[in-house]
Amino acid sequence: MATKKPITLRSIFYTVVSLVWIFGLSAIGHITMVLIEKNNPGIKYDFAWGCAITGFVLLYATRLVKSDGWQSFIGILAGLSCWFACEYSLMYGGHRLGVTYTWNGSYPEYRMMTWSYMFFLLVFAYLLFQESVRCNFIFYLRKKLRLMRGAIATGKIDNYGPRTFFEYIMITWAFYVLLMIGYDEELFGVYSWYTYSLFFASFSVFFYLCYKLLGYDRFGANLRYAIPTVTVIWNDVEILSKWGMLKEPWVHINWPIMSVIIGGFAVSTYLIVKDLRARSQGMIESKDIT
Amino acid sequence: MRYKAIILFCIMTLFVSAQMVTAQEKEKIQKETRAERLKSLENRFFAAQKEGKTIKGVLVEGNSLFNSTTEPQKKPYGKPYTDEELLAARKSAERNSKVFLLGQDGTLYYPTVKRGEAVSESLGAYRFERILTEEQKKTKTFTWATLVPMVGRQIEVLGEVYPGYGGIKGLYIEAVGFEGEYIVGKK
Repeated sequence: MATKKPITLRSIFYTVVSLVWIFGLSAIGHITMVLIEKNNPGIKYDFAWGCAITGFVLLYATRLVKSDGWQSFIGILAGLSCWFACEYSLMYGGHRLGVTYTWNGSYPEYRMMTWSYMFFLLVFAYLLFQESVRCNFIFYLRKKLRLMRGAIATGKIDNYGPRTFFEYIMITWAFYVLLMIGYDEELFGVYSWYTYSLFFASFSVFFYLCYKLLGYDRFGANLRYAIPTVTVIWNDVEILSKWGMLKEPWVHINWPIMSVIIGGFAVSTYLIVKDLRARSQGMIESKDIT
Repeated sequence: MRYKAIILFCIMTLFVSAQMVTAQEKEKIQKETRAERLKSLENRFFAAQKEGKTIKGVLVEGNSLFNSTTEPQKKPYGKPYTDEELLAARKSAERNSKVFLLGQDGTLYYPTVKRGEAVSESLGAYRFERILTEEQKKTKTFTWATLVPMVGRQIEVLGEVYPGYGGIKGLYIEAVGFEGEYIVGKK
């Protein structure tokens, strides 16, 4: 678990840049899939293989870098690449099995993902009982459920890359499953109390997570904690669009809005890379995160 | 160890490049872009519409039709189901029961793939190109549609009709046109 520090102008800067970067990454990921489906669906499975291989190569590459910032940065990219491959594999499965769209418009691949909830619970149970896992949320649950038998794991972490990779995938998976359970009209439904609760819970938790995020003043921890923060608010974006109150610019390809998002992503990437390089060269003083 | 990593990286890069070459070849085959295809479909759709060659009908769900649980053919055209029946029909359709087109003249069409395609996919999972009117284009609505969310709705089809069997005709749908939004969560 990363050490929390007081809120400073510096931590505000790091938080904003991290949020913009993760949000931009998700939006660009979505529009890439939409553009492929729209313009050249024939290449989608080749693209998926490319993503899977790139993801695993990047994951392996994290062992070649030392700083937690670079490890987290590369870990996120590896996670996104592999998540692309996961979605495309479900798309392929849906296509082979003849899974239809739902009458409220959910896509076959996400319908299939809904029923992976038990697998998710199994993996989550493992994380919950694995005492070396230092995720804040899991740590909180472990404490409240009195699952800690030994001392809290401490010491330096050297493999932030694979941890971030796994975090990205688990969080994305969890929130997809939560949303899809809500959208299923036979379980809850788009206009059910569950979806409304999810919307309001996500909205409020987002601000709490932003507040917590402000306590981290370096890109390693900030990038990692920005993943759940952005994913939580992404829930609201998805629900609003399901309610027909918002047209997602990455689904309806609204280039003016997408240009702003891509621009923000480019600038934030530059700032992150610049900061991480400066840190590697010792130009920015930083202490190890315990 | 570092050499092993480099070798592994090279092998993977070669694999990715090979995949990309295959993708480029496929791209070459698919010369017509979607925008061009849509434009051509649009022209053909409106030309066929002028000549009265499009097929108008409502989409109905097969299981409840064939076991006579519902009788959309006896209902006034355009309103094939009661609200309760519609909900049940849509649920069945999303569980992959087959969707048919009940024509304005009472003909029942079975949506199928183009003649000659031996191996094909379920049409419930298939995205049909949607023809938009100039007004609809301004709303930035979906440029495609699938059958399940459209059950109970009127559509107009550009396509080929096949003789079929037992009075039910085959219908290869090239493009569809309809009023309103393609349902995405809207009540």
